[in-house]
Amino acid sequence: MRIFGLSFKVIKTLLTTQYAYMLEYRIEIALWALSGVLPFIMFSLWSQNDVGNTFGLNDIGLARYFLSAFLVRQFSVVWVVFSFEEDSLSGRLSPYLLQPLHPLLRYVAAHLAEQATRLPFALAIAITFFILNPSSFWIPSLPQVFLAYLSTHLAFSIAFLLQSLVAALCFWTEKSSALERLIFVPYLFLSGLLVPLAAFPSNVLKVAMLTPFPYLINFPAKILSGMTVDIFNGFLAQILWISILIPSVNILWKFGVKRYTAMGA
Amino acid sequence: MPGFKGTLKHFFDRKTFEVHAVTDVSFKITRGEIVGFLGANGAGKTTLLKMMCGLIHPSRGLVDVCGFSPQRRQTAFLKEITLVMGQKQQLIWDLPPMDSFYVNAAVYGLADFEAKERINELADMLEIGEELTRPVRKLSLGQRMKAELLVALLHKPSVLFLDEPTLGLDVNAQARVRSFLSEYNKKTGATILLTSHYMADITALCPRVICIHKGNLFYDGDLDSLANSLSPSREVKVELKNPCSRDQFDKYGEIQDFNDRFISLLVSRDKLTEIISNLLTNFDIIDLEISDPPIDQLIGELFIKGEVN
Amino acid sequence: MYRYFKTIRLFWSTAFASQLEYQLNFLIELLAMLGTLLGSVFILSLFFTGGRQLGDWTWESALVIQGVYTFLDGLTNALLRPNLTEIVNYVREGTLDYVLLKPIDSQFWLSVKKFSFAGLPEIILGLSIVFWASIQTGSSFSIYSLSVFIISLFIGFIILYSVWFLIAASSIWFVKTWNATEVLRALLAAGRYPISAYPIILRFIFTLVLPVAFLTTFPAEAILGDLKLHILFFGLMLSSVFFVLSRLFWKFALRHYTSASS
Repeated sequence: MRIFGLSFKVIKTLLTTQYAYMLEYRIEIALWALSGVLPFIMFSLWSQNDVGNTFGLNDIGLARYFLSAFLVRQFSVVWVVFSFEEDSLSGRLSPYLLQPLHPLLRYVAAHLAEQATRLPFALAIAITFFILNPSSFWIPSLPQVFLAYLSTHLAFSIAFLLQSLVAALCFWTEKSSALERLIFVPYLFLSGLLVPLAAFPSNVLKVAMLTPFPYLINFPAKILSGMTVDIFNGFLAQILWISILIPSVNILWKFGVKRYTAMGA
Repeated sequence: MPGFKGTLKHFFDRKTFEVHAVTDVSFKITRGEIVGFLGANGAGKTTLLKMMCGLIHPSRGLVDVCGFSPQRRQTAFLKEITLVMGQKQQLIWDLPPMDSFYVNAAVYGLADFEAKERINELADMLEIGEELTRPVRKLSLGQRMKAELLVALLHKPSVLFLDEPTLGLDVNAQARVRSFLSEYNKKTGATILLTSHYMADITALCPRVICIHKGNLFYDGDLDSLANSLSPSREVKVELKNPCSRDQFDKYGEIQDFNDRFISLLVSRDKLTEIISNLLTNFDIIDLEISDPPIDQLIGELFIKGEVN
Repeated sequence: MYRYFKTIRLFWSTAFASQLEYQLNFLIELLAMLGTLLGSVFILSLFFTGGRQLGDWTWESALVIQGVYTFLDGLTNALLRPNLTEIVNYVREGTLDYVLLKPIDSQFWLSVKKFSFAGLPEIILGLSIVFWASIQTGSSFSIYSLSVFIISLFIGFIILYSVWFLIAASSIWFVKTWNATEVLRALLAAGRYPISAYPIILRFIFTLVLPVAFLTTFPAEAILGDLKLHILFFGLMLSSVFFVLSRLFWKFALRHYTSASS
């Protein structure tokens, strides 16, 4: 079996070594999982001030939405630009470029391994949330879980590709991680991490839906929390974004590597 | 593959334990001396150096530098000493060294004119000039080291702790750093304590060496007698005009290598002159070479043996 | 004392010189800052749709809080982030040794070595919002309310600094404290909204455990003339406690560093 031209064995080795590596940083990863509490802070504001009613959302629905947003975020967090910048500045990139393995795939493996390490901590936080808000407890149906799982992975892919675009700029500028902030800011406000997009005024919503950001949190979170959602169009949009981003990353990457090797760095 | 249970176990299982880097080391250094610290990697040289400048507190025992207890790091003490680590730099990467100099001058409470004078003086000694106005990242390793030395010596310290000051430098740059240090020592009477992996640094600079092995001191004395005691013999290589037989050379020393016209002998130090003059009178010699077994090789052997003869 | 002032001056002028090399960064920070502010005000406005209030705060007075938050965020970006995130590198690269051998307070050195000028626009913009929004609420300034405001901002900054420094100082043990800082930043984001808008448990936590209330809500109350004096007094004590704690912890951390490092 081959995926992306890689044999199953290579994939397995990559994932297990990365997992072992990530386990070394479990405390950091636990803290990182904890740093995703923003949706809970927002939830406490929404429920305390009874804002949901204005937008036709009840407290239980909101609780489930924000918890889902938290979980989706946990498994779609991307940091490739930071790793990549560090590797390219420290010169570790050169040997990577010589190997018969696209360097980006190495980072994909690292992300997946990190997600596996994060899983227990994310679950622990979710359980704590249920203990504090017992009424919001729910068990999503199997199809819901499956679709949410799928769309979270797609969300991760979009986020990863977006950041890879910025990462590829490392070939040109020394501090491309600063550029990441320019993606993070619209992500923060348009993804649905802070409010369900349903609360947006319709004209803002229209603009937001033209960006990839709502498909990173809002769409998967809605599926998982059991809100009504246009599943077909959502997946279509996710796949569309991925199919736009893959060739873009490829092209930018190729030019970047050419420049990098020309500089003899 | 460790699962969740493994994760939890590691999570709580972070033990710490005490390591004795240096034990039973005792010595005295007088003002103006240059002392080299020798030892294999991890022998405790750096630990010792850091103890003397107050960066590591000894769990037992006493350190006294210029009448101060280093670990208290009092201002008066800190103004007396300086530390240079070859592999760590304190200059601001993006800016010319000059900017770092003035920052340090302010920290040490030097007035601007004082700092300026001092910078000029040291720059002359180090033979460095306009490089000081170029960003550090654009300097060569050798230039950077000179600038590091300059910034470290700005406040006229009387005790210099140097940890691998020539690390990574090419042979010429190493030699220049060495000659600077020896000149600085002569000019100012500053005490210099250094560790180095390059024996050339030690042989050129340090009349006295202190050897550390596994945290213990096992030699303290001058370098020559260390070399003597380590290797009582020297190697003499002779090239002859005409081929000779092997047994003619037996009486001069232990034959290392023999083929026709090339002979290599191990000769004991005290008989060296006598044997060489004998060789020269008895044979028709084209070329003659006397060499010490390289001292780092000797030191290496010493650390393996763990004792001095 | 003069030596410390001169040192700061040289620290910051060299920082300025080295940032001139990265002017693009300045532009990016500016854009990110404007985007963040725009987004936050937008999210805040959602709480007020249909003429409701947040806690007992009106739209204009809640904007004052956004202003204070922006101001503190600017200070964070200018001073705290560049310096305190650097401590990890000092430890990892061993250059902390150089700092410890300087005849100057090491906590001082590590806290003020850098100054990121990209934070300045945010500081100015934050203050402008504070004043603009509080005029909109119809409140008038007096010498008294202004001085209480300044004192409470100072309290907020000292608390923020001390908590952050405590976390950064733990990098002596754990080399990667970056994530702990992220947790702090995530929790501090709660300061964008008035403390009275939170459920009672969180109000308690954000006042006494992680005193977010002292960072934004109380300074905003101060400029609006609503801050009770006993809270100001309590804030002074709390910030002193936090500050002393940060110094004691640093001393303790250094004792560990100097007894175990290699």
